[in-house]
Amino acid sequence: MNTNNQNFKLMITNFLNFNFMKTTKFLLSAIVCLTLVTTFTSCSDDDDNPPPVNPTELFTNVTLTFTPSNSTNATVVMEDIQPNGQGGGGATSNTVSGAFVSGETYSLSLAATDASDPNDVDDLLNDDVIPEADEHFFVYGLNGLNFTMTRDANDIVGLDNNKIGVNTTWVAGAASTGNLSITLVHEATAVDDSANNNLGSATGGEEDFNITFTGVTIN
Amino acid sequence: MVMRLLALFILLITFLVGHSQECDYTFLGEIKDFHDNTPIVDATVFIQNLNKYTTSDVYGKFKIEKLCNGPLKLVISHVACETKTVSFMINGDQFETITLEHHTRELDEVAIKTEAIRRETNAAQETTVDSKTLRRYSNLSIGDALEEVPGVSSLKTGNSIVKPVINGLHSSRILIMNNGVRLQDQEWGVEHAPNIDINSANQLTVIKGSGALAYGGDAVGGVVVVKPSRVIVKDTLYGRTVFGGQTNGRGYNITSSLNKNYSSGWFGHIQSSYRRSGDFQTPDYNLSNTGLESFGVSTRFGKKSFESGFEVYYSFLNNEIGILRAAHIGNLLDFERAINAGQPIRIEDFTYDINVPKQDVKHHLAKVNYYKRFQNFGKVSLQYDYQNNRRQEFDVRVGDRRNIPAVDLILQTHSILADVNLDSNLDRKYNFGIVARYQDNFADPDTGVRRIVPDYDKYDFGAYITTEWQLSDDLIADAGVRYDFNRIDAKKFYLRSNWEDRGYDEDFQNLIIEEFPTQFLTNPVFNYHNFSASIGGKYSISDNHKAMLNFSHANRPPNPSELFSDGLHHALARFEIGDLRFNQEIANRISASYNYTNSKFNFLAEVFYNRIDDYIFLRPDNSDLSNRGYFAVWIYEQTNAELFGIDINATYDITPQIQYNHKSSFIKGYDLKTDLPLIDIPPFSTTNQIRYYNEKWNNFSASLKSEWVLEQNEFPNFNYTVINQLTEEEFEIDISTPPPAYHLLHFYSDATFNFKGKTSLNVAFGINNIFNSSYRNYLNGLRFFADDLGRNFTLQLQLNY
Repeated sequence: MNTNNQNFKLMITNFLNFNFMKTTKFLLSAIVCLTLVTTFTSCSDDDDNPPPVNPTELFTNVTLTFTPSNSTNATVVMEDIQPNGQGGGGATSNTVSGAFVSGETYSLSLAATDASDPNDVDDLLNDDVIPEADEHFFVYGLNGLNFTMTRDANDIVGLDNNKIGVNTTWVAGAASTGNLSITLVHEATAVDDSANNNLGSATGGEEDFNITFTGVTIN
Repeated sequence: MVMRLLALFILLITFLVGHSQECDYTFLGEIKDFHDNTPIVDATVFIQNLNKYTTSDVYGKFKIEKLCNGPLKLVISHVACETKTVSFMINGDQFETITLEHHTRELDEVAIKTEAIRRETNAAQETTVDSKTLRRYSNLSIGDALEEVPGVSSLKTGNSIVKPVINGLHSSRILIMNNGVRLQDQEWGVEHAPNIDINSANQLTVIKGSGALAYGGDAVGGVVVVKPSRVIVKDTLYGRTVFGGQTNGRGYNITSSLNKNYSSGWFGHIQSSYRRSGDFQTPDYNLSNTGLESFGVSTRFGKKSFESGFEVYYSFLNNEIGILRAAHIGNLLDFERAINAGQPIRIEDFTYDINVPKQDVKHHLAKVNYYKRFQNFGKVSLQYDYQNNRRQEFDVRVGDRRNIPAVDLILQTHSILADVNLDSNLDRKYNFGIVARYQDNFADPDTGVRRIVPDYDKYDFGAYITTEWQLSDDLIADAGVRYDFNRIDAKKFYLRSNWEDRGYDEDFQNLIIEEFPTQFLTNPVFNYHNFSASIGGKYSISDNHKAMLNFSHANRPPNPSELFSDGLHHALARFEIGDLRFNQEIANRISASYNYTNSKFNFLAEVFYNRIDDYIFLRPDNSDLSNRGYFAVWIYEQTNAELFGIDINATYDITPQIQYNHKSSFIKGYDLKTDLPLIDIPPFSTTNQIRYYNEKWNNFSASLKSEWVLEQNEFPNFNYTVINQLTEEEFEIDISTPPPAYHLLHFYSDATFNFKGKTSLNVAFGINNIFNSSYRNYLNGLRFFADDLGRNFTLQLQLNY
């Protein structure tokens, strides 16, 4: 009985050893299979082209439309186009059409879109910036130009009750030529809508865009 | 196989013959060395059934008389051999040959009680960070621990993203082996740290240069070998639990591991770790959004014996790391403000929260391997491994998009490996093998951000042979050659404007497979044939003096980032531009080491010269003078480079209790085409440490370490001028000038209390940056925005049981 028991143990040992060999074979066959599978799948992948990515939050077109209160004066339109997003190159343009008239009051309306896919233009100003007014703030800049700017009563209110600068009124002063800039600041830590004669200032955060229009004229 | 069939045959015979009970049989045994069949003299043979001992004679033979039919169990032991238990079925007189493994120490395949460290190479410059030292870095990363090695520094993004730099080279030039598996985790990125849980490692070895050909042929910088704990072949159960806490970042970590081993060779191991930290602090302010959360688990089991064995291993690591909020910039005007501010523009109260920008990386690694040793031949190993690396980078975005990653990559890698180690003749060892690898990279288009690296399939095939010759008692020589074939088959989108800007419309127009309104889809397929070789020797001049010399030649194919980058790298807020025209880097490195040892003094000097043709590097580009200040543009360029330097490590026992250690490294790197220094070369650094140790006081130790890093005075000037369009002012962006030198002092002390049995408790206390000095490091990508870490108290309890 005892011998049988020992024999049994030996059998088990042998069985395990054989099983072990089987394990090796299994591993080898698994490896071969996997190699085949991967090779096979990669072959079939070739017909499967990845879809293009059309970025959803590129500021490609920024337009400032200054409408005069007296419709006999010309509307001034400033437009900056960066088809691949800010700094992305491509056929960029930066234009100012029309001239301001001294003493006239203009109401500024903004447009900021992502037109990187011409068939699907995103209105970033109304879809992203205004709903997230707490995180956005427009800072304007003037160099050499005489303007008196105010943020309208109906302007959007953002961080710490500051008006973010979507609806603004511009009174053209003495005749002058210079530059006008518009900067959209994202996630600033502090903003001040009355700084720099209401042009505004922001600290912290980063600039979504910072666009300057040169050769702006007040006649 | 034959042996087993024989055993089965004997078994069957036993059954057939039945159970006669005569007890007059003789068993003749012959004990031989497994490798060369030489007889083993004076081996002790314990006959378990009879409870009797005998020994082998000068011919390795022994005799047991008056045996009954039935099983016979023998336990054979010999000095310097692995004890072996064998069973036979006695059926009449019998003769058996029993092989013993006689070179256990040299071959390092069985448990050795001492923490002996086996070298990976013979003559290459190799340094090991042992288990004890590693435990001190339980709350840090692999990159931090590797800084223990002279000549290894770190390329950092903040404090938690740490990449090793070996003799000035990093990223794709460093090959990291994790438990025998080559790590594949998008290592091309400067803010992509190796995905290895330091607590799953038991030993780190750095091999400078490309001498370790069995691991790969493209390790122009070096190889880092990460090994888990050694398998002990005896019945035992042991474990370790480490609790740690640190004041800076209010971090805490816990790691625990459990090992079960059997004398039959079966083993099982499980380990897990968790680490959490909030915002770190400099001496003067919080580094907002620099917290991290890390979870890792690893497990393995298998069977190990001298003759054969297998292992199944799986590990998982998930790192979520916040990136300094103030380092996120919109354009160069922001960057200029950030640099000039002197401190981060955004400093908030301490929090554990990790917000955007952040990275979340999950890495799975699974492997199975099997080895078998054949008599008079050597060891054959087979391995299959699979890795899945998912990298998600979350950027500062508007609205709900902040929850959508800006980068979302899944990199899957399958490898098979066959390796043969011919060690039957210890004076002439040969090792050869082949490796095949398939890799698939998928860049998720749902990010809404153009892919930073494209979708691609990559195929690698490699074959190598290395040899080691013991030419005399004092001289060992080694040599090796390796061939690698790489094929990359990518599906890459290019903006039409970029495609033309690079001149690809002239050279690569045939690669376009699909046209979109603003983009081209291209299918670049590139093949690379790489040849690498290494030769070296180690000469023992006397018992105290040793010298090593090595020459290695390596080829590295360009990585996907170097080839295909062509857009905004959100995490770093810069444009990166690669080049499809790049060919392989070719490195020729010569190194020499000198080692002097006596009972009190150990001195090691390692010098190297590395000449790299077609060296690919990333540099700021100021060629576009009309830069309106949107983003920094960085371009990949190919040049010829040379790097050379010396690393020194010296230890002197002033008294048996007091030890002094000195480490320093000096390195220079030049661009041979422009005669400019190379960018991001670590400055001269030196550490000096004095340590007191007293075994009688519960193994008490206390050490004071001084770390001195000089200013890098040789750097290329890539500064450029940006125009503020509104004011028409020009201003210079200084992205080149390295930060000033700094000196830090660290304290560390520990003691080990031994309890009953194997249980012990190690208590360690440390202070990093004792004087709370403000400093910035040239190789930290966030040095433009913030200082490095201030004072940090750490406490660690390590329970071994």
